[in-house]
Amino acid sequence: MLMARGVTIRFGGVVAVGGMDMDVHPGEIVGLIGPNGAGKTTFVNAISGTYVPNAGSIRWQDEDLVGRTPNRLARMGVGRTFQNVASLSDLTVLDIVKVGRSVRGAGGGLRDLFASGRRQDDELAQKYLEPLGLADHRNTPLQMLSYGHRKAVDIARALAGEPDLLLLDEPVAGVAPAEAFALAGFVKKIRDLMGCAVVMVEHKMDIVMCTCDRIVVMAGGVKIFDGSCAGAQSDPEVRRVYLGHA
Amino acid sequence: MFILQLIVAGLAVGSVYAIIALGIVLIYKCSGVVNFAQGGYAMLGAFFTYALTTAGLPSAAALVVSLLLMGVVGALTQTLILRPMLKAPVVAVMMATLGILIIFRAICLLIWGPDQIGFPKLFPDGSIEVGGIFMTYNYVAAFLLSAVLCGAFLAFYRYTPLGLMQRCTADNTRAALAVGIHVSNQVTIAWTASAMLAGLGGSLLASLNGLSLGLSNIGLVAFPVIVLGGMTSLPGAVVAGLILGVLQAVTDGLLTPAIERVLRDYTEIYSVGALQQVIPYALLVVVLLVRPQGIFGSKESERV
Repeated sequence: MLMARGVTIRFGGVVAVGGMDMDVHPGEIVGLIGPNGAGKTTFVNAISGTYVPNAGSIRWQDEDLVGRTPNRLARMGVGRTFQNVASLSDLTVLDIVKVGRSVRGAGGGLRDLFASGRRQDDELAQKYLEPLGLADHRNTPLQMLSYGHRKAVDIARALAGEPDLLLLDEPVAGVAPAEAFALAGFVKKIRDLMGCAVVMVEHKMDIVMCTCDRIVVMAGGVKIFDGSCAGAQSDPEVRRVYLGHA
Repeated sequence: MFILQLIVAGLAVGSVYAIIALGIVLIYKCSGVVNFAQGGYAMLGAFFTYALTTAGLPSAAALVVSLLLMGVVGALTQTLILRPMLKAPVVAVMMATLGILIIFRAICLLIWGPDQIGFPKLFPDGSIEVGGIFMTYNYVAAFLLSAVLCGAFLAFYRYTPLGLMQRCTADNTRAALAVGIHVSNQVTIAWTASAMLAGLGGSLLASLNGLSLGLSNIGLVAFPVIVLGGMTSLPGAVVAGLILGVLQAVTDGLLTPAIERVLRDYTEIYSVGALQQVIPYALLVVVLLVRPQGIFGSKESERV
């Protein structure tokens, strides 16, 4: 499980995350929500190794995550997607999924010097591209795809590494509603299939409500709520940060 | 017929240019660094092959061992000299590659001296004739070996998981880092492959033209090649290498004698010297004026 305690991240004098605690259990989908500037993405960046927290500890399956580089984390089974999709322009969709697979397994072995078979490619495409409606695009360069499709490719890339902990940073932002629900459904299906824990930063509340098992609300860099979806909707503190004083 | 003969010889030399230039493009693509030391690697590879054959190894074994040694040298120079410069500006790293070139030249000068060395015969004497064109085994072997190595490298780059990570790093270093690729290891791999390509290229060139410290100047000829091909295009480097080889051969065989004939008729000038050595740089100027992005390069466009 993931255990974050007192995570603090400062940029100069600005405290983006100030003493954040969070637990994520295996097989659980946790929605991380909060108003803009609450520090959600910064917190996720700290878990995924982009930022090194100024204070606090982040432990994953009893190993310290703080200060690990993304390539180490990938091998430890921590995968993530990005709010702004990575612009790998020339690689094809299938290539990107293969990269996602490679970073998990690659130990610099000799196996990497030999071509991967067509059967393996088909298997990857069937497993990760078809459910996301990307099967027809497997040989399309990423830059030819729409924004929504690119987000889906990013998720397929992260999933191909078969992560035990998947961090999704606004997976459906800017995606058409119908596609968004399909994406959310797929995340749930993947969880049921692989049993991975998922942390999902998202603003679209309907998506969060129908996907997540638990909700953590952040505001001003700290956790203000941790509980069920229904609880979050009726919590006075959550209402206050979202809607202002009643 | 004579011109065909020249073209065939030019293709052989050009294929060697191609593999040397491939290495420069490879490193440039994944780290943005122009490797000025490439000629040094070519020279070192040739000296290794020379030392190994004089030590009694058969030529095939010498070539393979030299290839592997160059891989080690490439990996070591990157790890020891360039990896600590990870956060340094690209220009500083390029200066360091210039330093590597100087060090390599000094080491070779120390061990093998400044004189032209008769390079051992890697391939048997003799020639084959195809349709009235004679090709010495030397040229045929140089062409075939370059083609095989070039093909093997491009297949590695296109089809293997490691090649995929190379392409990913070349495409967008920051994105590659973010999705979990160990970018500095990829740069080491690029240097290893590049040094191996250059080393074999150097050995083959030495088998055609003899060996001296001057071989390291081949690194300069490689620049017009990659500019012509488009800095970031691997197939571009190959095509441009072949074009340059043919141009040089044709200049040497046809253009120079023609110009000299005219000059001798009308002036006191007897010789124009090695005109074919001017060709790469003249080509460089023309390409930069007419089509700066090269044959296969794409214009950088930025969305505003």
